[in-house]
Amino acid sequence: MQLPVLNDTPAHAEHGAKGGCAASSCGTTENQMDTLPDSIREKVQNHPCYSEDAHHYFARMHVAVAPACNIQCHYCNRKYDCANESRPGVVSELLTPDQAVKKTMAVAANIPQMTVLGIAGPGDPLANPERTFETFRRLSQEAPDIKLCVSTNGLALPDAVEELSKHNIDHVTITINCVDPEVGAKIYPWIFWKNKRIKGIKGAKILIEQQQKGLEMLIAKGILVKVNSVMIPGVNDKHLAEVSKAVKSKGAFLHNVMPLISEAEHGTFYGVMGQRGPTPDELQDLQDSCSGDMNMMRHCRQCRADAVGMLGEDRGDEFTLDKIEDMEIDYQAAMEKRAVIHQAIQAEMDSKRLEKAEKAQQLKQEPKLTTRPVLMAVATSGQGVINLHFGHAKEFLIYEASPDGVRFISHRKADQYCGGDTTCGDGESTLQVTIRALAGCEAVLCSKVGYEPWEMLEAAGIAPNGEHAMEPIEEAVMAVYKEMAAAGKLDATPEAARATA
Amino acid sequence: MAVKIIESCVNCFACEPVCPSNAIYEAKPHFLVDPKKCTECEGDFPVFQCASICPIEGAILDSFGLAINPPGSLTGIPPEKMAEAMAELQAH
Ligand code: SF4
Ligand code: SF4
Repeated sequence: MQLPVLNDTPAHAEHGAKGGCAASSCGTTENQMDTLPDSIREKVQNHPCYSEDAHHYFARMHVAVAPACNIQCHYCNRKYDCANESRPGVVSELLTPDQAVKKTMAVAANIPQMTVLGIAGPGDPLANPERTFETFRRLSQEAPDIKLCVSTNGLALPDAVEELSKHNIDHVTITINCVDPEVGAKIYPWIFWKNKRIKGIKGAKILIEQQQKGLEMLIAKGILVKVNSVMIPGVNDKHLAEVSKAVKSKGAFLHNVMPLISEAEHGTFYGVMGQRGPTPDELQDLQDSCSGDMNMMRHCRQCRADAVGMLGEDRGDEFTLDKIEDMEIDYQAAMEKRAVIHQAIQAEMDSKRLEKAEKAQQLKQEPKLTTRPVLMAVATSGQGVINLHFGHAKEFLIYEASPDGVRFISHRKADQYCGGDTTCGDGESTLQVTIRALAGCEAVLCSKVGYEPWEMLEAAGIAPNGEHAMEPIEEAVMAVYKEMAAAGKLDATPEAARATA
Repeated sequence: MAVKIIESCVNCFACEPVCPSNAIYEAKPHFLVDPKKCTECEGDFPVFQCASICPIEGAILDSFGLAINPPGSLTGIPPEKMAEAMAELQAH
């Protein structure tokens, strides 16, 4: 079945975000699933991390079972979780394989939408082969309805492919930031290889060779491979188009370019040395330029290494170690219940996809608008509808409306850089931080907005809108876009219309 | 002769499996080296295995009490730069 893709030429880059708390999350260009071969599309289309609409219905979780790492990245500080897979400055609760299995089954029994279990850290999963594979082995046996995925820096990958192919592994993510050792030496100060610490170009060269070899071996085994890259301006930004080409030619099915997140307080090399992350514009430009070569994704949420839950929520607190100890899980019964719920979700998704395709068709019939594109933020907790109170949203989905239709752009966390503190930087309130995270958006659609945020949003040039509660997101965004067009608000240049908070 | 793990260890587990002498064990608040078992890797490897994978500068000391990985040697951050950044953060 075809995923309806409204528009794969980006109309414009995001404007207006001023660093700090306001950068977008990862994500890239259009969700070009329609260019994938059927066999892969089938695997991907219900995957909460890869399919834009599935991620409204299904959820994934991570367990932190893999503490050790075998390389150093300049964007990482090993006092915290792996900075690539998680937001920097986050520490996850380390679990033993036994605890991880228990937690996964507890979550699966209580959140039937949870279909994917990932191991991404806090170090490199394949540098902890025993802990990682023990977790996979047991889950493949005891919870066969859960898909497994793993992320790696690739150094130990060639040795792990055989073992990975024995489990219920749905896909592997390799972080590949370069294919040129000279670039690599600016990203990786050292690797641990064959009982030695190897620094500089020599180390980077080995890492790159292992990554590429591992990629080829996985493809040969028929395992899906996604590639993550961290965009580091002035270091690998120009180089990533080449990376994209290289990994695609070897058979990776998705390339996910994420922004470097770099702050001095993270204590990383880049943070301390003042290496900046990309602006939202730079990120989107790069994603767009790579997308000609590659299927890309926009809706990666840069989850924590122990994230649990659906869109816009983290229910990790309900599944802490002491709580799961007390839970009695009858997984056989849970699995039957899950299967029924998954079928219902599938049916709903199928009908929504059909509806969406029809709407897109309809839009083509209507006289085409000539107005400029607009970014809007949406508060949702899933199901593809606007159903979250502005004040309860921990993250927002950013959509772009243009005469060509509505397309998903990215997630923005309300507290992406602020660790969820009530204040940030110069004593900003949570509300101010949230509004700053929405910079560049001209409207925010949610089920309700309180009086105070209403005023502040308006003052920031972001129109609050609670009129489309419980409506499908794309339709509501289009309706608001048409209202704006009818009111003559879209004739001005975007810069003039957009106030940054 | 033995190496020693001190409090800056972040409990990342990396050193434990690479020790040829099984001298490293998980402990609270941080990993420790059993001085009776540590061979300083003599006869197995030309370099200390634990200190070759440990990501934390200063976390492992040699038998003279000196950091095997001194400040700046692993992260590449010049110590004065680090001090500057930390002072800047303190000031806020
Ligand atoms: S120096 Fe060698 S023998 Fe001693 S603790 Fe470290 S790895 Fe083990
Ligand atoms: S490798 Fe270093 S930081 Fe990690 S547990 Fe061993 S001593 Fe601690």
